[in-house]
Amino acid sequence: MTGPLLRIEGLTKRFHSGGGLFSRERAMIAVRDVSLEIARGEVLGVVGESGCGKSTLARLILRLIEATNGRIVFDGTELTALPASALRAMRKRMAMVFQDPYSSLDPRFTLARVLAEPFRVQSRAMPPDAVAAMLAAVGLPETLATSYPHQLSGGQRQRVGIARALALRPDFVVLDEPTASLDVSIQAQIIALLADLRDKMGLTYLFISHDLGLVRYFCDRIVVMYLGSVVEVLPDTKAAPRHPYTDALMRSGFAPDPARRREIAPLGGEIPSPFALPAGCAFTTRCAFASDRCRSERPVLSQDPAHPVACFHPL
Amino acid sequence: MSPLLELSRVSVAIGKVALLDRISLSVEPGRILGLVGESGSGKSLTAMAAIGLLPLIGGRVTEGEVRFAGRDIAAMSEAERRALRGRRIGFVTQNPMTALDPVQRIGGQVDIVSRMHLRLTKTAARARTLDLLTQLRIPDAAAVVDAYPHQLSGGMKQRIVIAMALAGEPELIIADEPTTALDVTVQAQIIQILGALVRDRGLALLLITHDMGVIAQICDRVAVLYCGRLAEEGPVGPIFAAPAHPYTAALIDCIPQEGTARGSLRGIPGAVPSALAFSTGCRFHPRCRRATGLCQDSAPPLLPRDAGSVACHHAGAAP
Repeated sequence: MTGPLLRIEGLTKRFHSGGGLFSRERAMIAVRDVSLEIARGEVLGVVGESGCGKSTLARLILRLIEATNGRIVFDGTELTALPASALRAMRKRMAMVFQDPYSSLDPRFTLARVLAEPFRVQSRAMPPDAVAAMLAAVGLPETLATSYPHQLSGGQRQRVGIARALALRPDFVVLDEPTASLDVSIQAQIIALLADLRDKMGLTYLFISHDLGLVRYFCDRIVVMYLGSVVEVLPDTKAAPRHPYTDALMRSGFAPDPARRREIAPLGGEIPSPFALPAGCAFTTRCAFASDRCRSERPVLSQDPAHPVACFHPL
Repeated sequence: MSPLLELSRVSVAIGKVALLDRISLSVEPGRILGLVGESGSGKSLTAMAAIGLLPLIGGRVTEGEVRFAGRDIAAMSEAERRALRGRRIGFVTQNPMTALDPVQRIGGQVDIVSRMHLRLTKTAARARTLDLLTQLRIPDAAAVVDAYPHQLSGGMKQRIVIAMALAGEPELIIADEPTTALDVTVQAQIIQILGALVRDRGLALLLITHDMGVIAQICDRVAVLYCGRLAEEGPVGPIFAAPAHPYTAALIDCIPQEGTARGSLRGIPGAVPSALAFSTGCRFHPRCRRATGLCQDSAPPLLPRDAGSVACHHAGAAP
């Protein structure tokens, strides 16, 4: 089948806080009018700082939380309109690997039971040697099947998280900072494993990270988010940034090479509160190029399909 | 210049378990020493030993000496050691959320350091706090002193913890993974601040991290730790250009850079073992590409090499 595997249109999520006895209700927009497509077999990266809405976006796509507005179309079926029973059937084809392997595995379950859980939830019979096969696929010995999560290292636990996500042979996997709590040595192992599995199983990934260096290494295209909005889509990993925010993110990373030390020019200013965003571009408070227009008018993502950017003064 | 902090062949145990094995390092005023290694390699324990806090976690120095400004800290009274910590040695912890008291306003938490250690009056301590916060580029410091920790962002909280470490006018700062919990943009700010403190005030900095990028950016020397032993130590220039120890090389190779070919990062196979299961011989040999029978049988001694030292039977051999 042709066409994108996943298409989202105008996805928006508004959260409310307060509104009790003692505080006035306040609203924030965690994800604002996000539209994007993911092709079959693609690894799409989503990058941004804490609070930019990248994890909310992932949860919206899997309908773990409900969108305020917008459409999600997965392989031609609109998820946003699907009743619960049909959604559950659809979920077999979508999975998620969570950031923290310490809290995403039930401490009272053996690994065999952790890996049987997806079959149980979907009321599907589990093939007899499925556990051994799943463990082998993520590079773990079969003997671990009777172990509990606390007996594993962080890297092993994340391998179990990946095995569980792939148990029902999904087409699409959301990876939400899967290596953020691991050592760099283990991070590289996990990324290599994810790349191998994608090739073997024909997977499509949405890879969420705050590490632009890692995203540029692993992903085909990169969506950059700032305070709920997409500010730029890098069409490939070598594309030069056009949004000043993407540029600042790139300049924040340090190369492991003392010969390439640089003058650190940290992003000034503070991230504005999501409850009180500036009227215009949300990045104006930290941007060296901000003009009066930026402060009063919100730039929209340019429709240039080759390299969309939401900035009045792109680089 | 003579070192401010010096560890000579320090071994540490908790109960019967030996955790650090003859660690030697030194930090001079105006210099930054990076201490790097995976989780479980003994970085934080080394820091605890350096400031005499091992008893807190039931540990003790079993061999060797820790000297601060030439004095053996084991020979000091507990009162003298306490006077050292906070006053002459500032400590920055990894998680600013746990280093700050959640029910006390920021100002009071920073003030207390200079009131205790420098005997400043309330008013003088507050003036000093405001001055420090401004130097650390905390916007609107006058309002921040009245805030509670939960009202601040992670990067702001980490800067408050740095302000607390600086409040006693220390000569040495020990920073244990000060940027690990932060976004890269905030990490860049904090690293710049730490670098400027060393340059402008002549502080000595012991920076613990697992990120070779951070080490390359600001450290003068680096000590690489694996399973409680030094693998390699020396100036960052030559070590990054030609790491002699395969573990150092592997740690550098884990970080994707501009131009790293897709699929080329494989990480370091296996994982750091627990202290109860350290390997015989070279402790890194089960994960090492260069390991031979010799590595299984005998632990390589730490030998001088160029301006540093390395502990590997095959030091500098082609990978």
